[in-house]
Amino acid sequence: MDFTFSPEHIALRRMIREFAENEVAPIAAEIDRDHQVPMETMRKLGQVGLLGVCFPQEYGGMGAGEMGYCILMEEINRVCTSTGTNVGAHIGIGAMAIYLDGNDEQKRRYLIPLARGEQFAAFGLTESGAGSDAAAIRTRAVREGDSWILDGGKVFITNGGYADVVTVMAVTDPALGARGGITAFIVETDWEGFKVAREEDKMGIRGTSTAELVFEELRVPHENVLGKVGEGFVTFMKSLDMGRLTLGAACIGGAEMALESAVRWAKTRRQFGAELASKQAIQWKIADIATELEALRSLVYRVAWLVDTGQPFGQLAAMCKLYGSEVASRAIDIALQIHGGLGFSRDFPLERGFRDARIGEIYEGTSEVQRIVIASNIFREHGVRIRP
Amino acid sequence: MRIIVILGRVLDPSGIVVKGSAGRIFVNREEYLIQPADACALEAALRIKDGMAAEVVALPRSPLPDDDILRQAIARGADRAIYLTGPALKAADEAAMTGVLTAAIERLGGADLVLIGSTTLDTGQGQLGLRLAEALGGAQITGAWQVSSADGQVQAVLQRNGRYVAVEADPPVVVTLLPGALKLRYPDGVRLINVYRGVGEVGDALEAWDAADLVDEAALTPLVESRGKEFAPERERGVRASGTPAEMAQAAADALRQRMRR
Amino acid sequence: MDASYLDLLMAQQEEITEEAAGGGGVWVVADVVNGSIAPVTLEGIGAARTLADSLGAYVYGVLLGAGGADLAQTLYQAGADGVRVADDAGLSEFALEPYLHVLADLFEAEQPEVVILAATQQGQELAPRLAQRMGGGLIEHVTAVTLDEATRTVQGAVPIYGGQYFEILACPEARPQFLTIEPGTFPAPFVDSYRKGEPTLLDVEPATPAVRVIGPAEDFEPPPVPLKQAPVIVAAGRQVGGEAGFALVQQLATALGGRVAGDRGARDAGWIEAGQVVDVRGVEVAPEVYVAAGIRGDTFHNAAIEEAGFILAIHPDPHAPIFESADLGLEAEPQDVLPALLEALGD
Repeated sequence: MDFTFSPEHIALRRMIREFAENEVAPIAAEIDRDHQVPMETMRKLGQVGLLGVCFPQEYGGMGAGEMGYCILMEEINRVCTSTGTNVGAHIGIGAMAIYLDGNDEQKRRYLIPLARGEQFAAFGLTESGAGSDAAAIRTRAVREGDSWILDGGKVFITNGGYADVVTVMAVTDPALGARGGITAFIVETDWEGFKVAREEDKMGIRGTSTAELVFEELRVPHENVLGKVGEGFVTFMKSLDMGRLTLGAACIGGAEMALESAVRWAKTRRQFGAELASKQAIQWKIADIATELEALRSLVYRVAWLVDTGQPFGQLAAMCKLYGSEVASRAIDIALQIHGGLGFSRDFPLERGFRDARIGEIYEGTSEVQRIVIASNIFREHGVRIRP
Repeated sequence: MRIIVILGRVLDPSGIVVKGSAGRIFVNREEYLIQPADACALEAALRIKDGMAAEVVALPRSPLPDDDILRQAIARGADRAIYLTGPALKAADEAAMTGVLTAAIERLGGADLVLIGSTTLDTGQGQLGLRLAEALGGAQITGAWQVSSADGQVQAVLQRNGRYVAVEADPPVVVTLLPGALKLRYPDGVRLINVYRGVGEVGDALEAWDAADLVDEAALTPLVESRGKEFAPERERGVRASGTPAEMAQAAADALRQRMRR
Repeated sequence: MDASYLDLLMAQQEEITEEAAGGGGVWVVADVVNGSIAPVTLEGIGAARTLADSLGAYVYGVLLGAGGADLAQTLYQAGADGVRVADDAGLSEFALEPYLHVLADLFEAEQPEVVILAATQQGQELAPRLAQRMGGGLIEHVTAVTLDEATRTVQGAVPIYGGQYFEILACPEARPQFLTIEPGTFPAPFVDSYRKGEPTLLDVEPATPAVRVIGPAEDFEPPPVPLKQAPVIVAAGRQVGGEAGFALVQQLATALGGRVAGDRGARDAGWIEAGQVVDVRGVEVAPEVYVAAGIRGDTFHNAAIEEAGFILAIHPDPHAPIFESADLGLEAEPQDVLPALLEALGD
């Protein structure tokens, strides 16, 4: 077994850290306060090639694999969860769906500008009646000659407010349901019938756009069907598997920030004549965060390696998402506690980190759904079928 | 125009804690950076290349255990880099490096402009660039904020006697850049990956040359050697000045002057 | 002891006659600033004297310039045994090639054992060129020296990471051993005004400088340094003494070439912007020198200056926590000491 990062991935991490410290960290508090998507930073990420980190070079990417993408998610989320979320929704699910199931022409037309940050992507699955129960979507697509007419809408769409391209899941055959009845479409957001209805006002990740989208007689050319008609469910399940892994990577970043902050403050802050680091109550907290962080890191990068070497990883990706989001939340909670009143202050980044971490246990499949996925995979091997 | 950029690496000081009382340096994060002033030199070279036909070649400032910073230089836009290797090079000091670098530059076909940082972040040594100027028989411009080239000359902006002045010299010229003078651009993602994989247009941009092929082994013997480390006495905090306000002010002025001279 | 006898003795001025030595010696290249010998040169002579006494060698000063030959006496008084003077209009101001030409010829002829220059622009430009030309070793920014007597090798302490620790470097074989010394780190020598000597004038034919000054770079603005990286910061606090006190803080920052900052109180008073607040909830800084004027210094402020190299605190309350962090504390109203401090620094 070899657990070392390759020199190219070490160099990539260094490049991303340099970018994150110089370009992302300084705006993190501001975009949270002003509820603004950092468009300029997103474009810069594209200019240096990072938004194409995991896509092949022939489609405008860097070709650094899933490993490279996990490193990007870790490092960006270490300084700003909002920017990390924008990046994740763009690369990890929006563009990823096109990369996984798009044909060559679709990849040339859409993936290249997305990889370069000239355009941005979102992933349109969730509906008000279909979140974790993704198969329950109601958006309809009806064939009309060379086109499909979409009617319906999506909610909680990350990047929805500014995306140029949305991969939309719609029901094409209600009789067939999830297996065969759902199709994925590549939708350009300046087409007639596409509307951003509203932006959500959220507790955390406030430097992101979470939008409600409405489709009214939205005409999509047949060539923009992503993958095969009726196989949309497969497309988005594949995208979400990858997404779960990289959310686990994002959580490494959040937990790392918490640990660094806690160690620093424990060294600095003196109470009862000695620094906090000398108190066992604090030492144990820090030991716990460090241990869980290390376990998470091993899990996530092992799964990235499975992806890059073409091995099955779906079950482990659910574990990355489940464990990662809970580790990050716990780490930030503990770090905040160690900082006392300072941690609770809005002028200190932990408060933002605490609000931002909470979404990790909710989006792209709640912790409960991840547990269902994991348990049903385990029991399936024993011949027991679990229905959610 | 051929521009040589000399690059070194330095252990990131934010990852170390120096404890005089323990007589040791604790490394909590072993991360190497391009020497900050050398990074400015690389940016200066790339800016010249942005505006005219120029070849930028990166060479190491000291023996390196790996070629990492040279690959980084290529990822950020350098055309070529030469990794100097060989057991005899291991202990090379500035004098020995001057010999090797001079021979390497000669093999490259000479240089119109050599860019290097004015000082190193760790050891504060500025001699390598100027030794090179001597060895190459060129002019030297030290402590530049900016470098450019026009009409076959090299121009630079410096601070002299509290003023910024523009100066000029005929090639070959060695220019040393101040740390913080220019912000080094980010690597290009594709070049970064490809330079590590050895593919694409940067596939053969990095070469390794054995120092023994460039100079005699005797020329690699260092002139300067290290004889250990010393730690300043532990900092004493909480010292107070006494006396009248004027006397206290005098004590403060003396202390500040002492510190500011450094 | 009969004091009049001592007077008599000293009045017989000590005329120094230099040996027609066959090479060697400890040489010091003088820096001249505004028509007088720079203090660092005298410090260099002092260091050279100590080394030479242990080595059994002479100390020589070298003075380059135009019309300043009488400055040679200052070098004698500081301890030089011999002084060489190059006096020429072409040497009126430091320029590399003219100076290098003179010194290289001189040192080729004299073969010094040790050459000390100041770690100033002049010394830092000359030393590497001379060392390279003569095959000598060079140790830069030396702050202290010892001698390995057995091998007649000078060991210089060089600050690493701006003085976090020191590396001891030595040049055991190659000669000359060149050193540049950091101004203000060696003790100034006793100036014996009874010492004097007759300097040797050098025949010089100055070379032409290779670098031409085109003119002032009028459009040039150096890139802004973020407060985080500023080398000198003068910060005001609630107890700085109102607007008048803050004005003094601004003056001090100008005098030290530093940046103005403050604590949250200074921000509340409207003297500084949010980006100038030194606090773990604002900007954490790591300057060489941090002056806290009227800052009481709570945990959140003091933690943000942990990385500062030297902290001067001025506060009227002897119990202010800032004093525990400070390297030097002045228990006083800032407006009482700052004017005196500005005056003392002005000298």
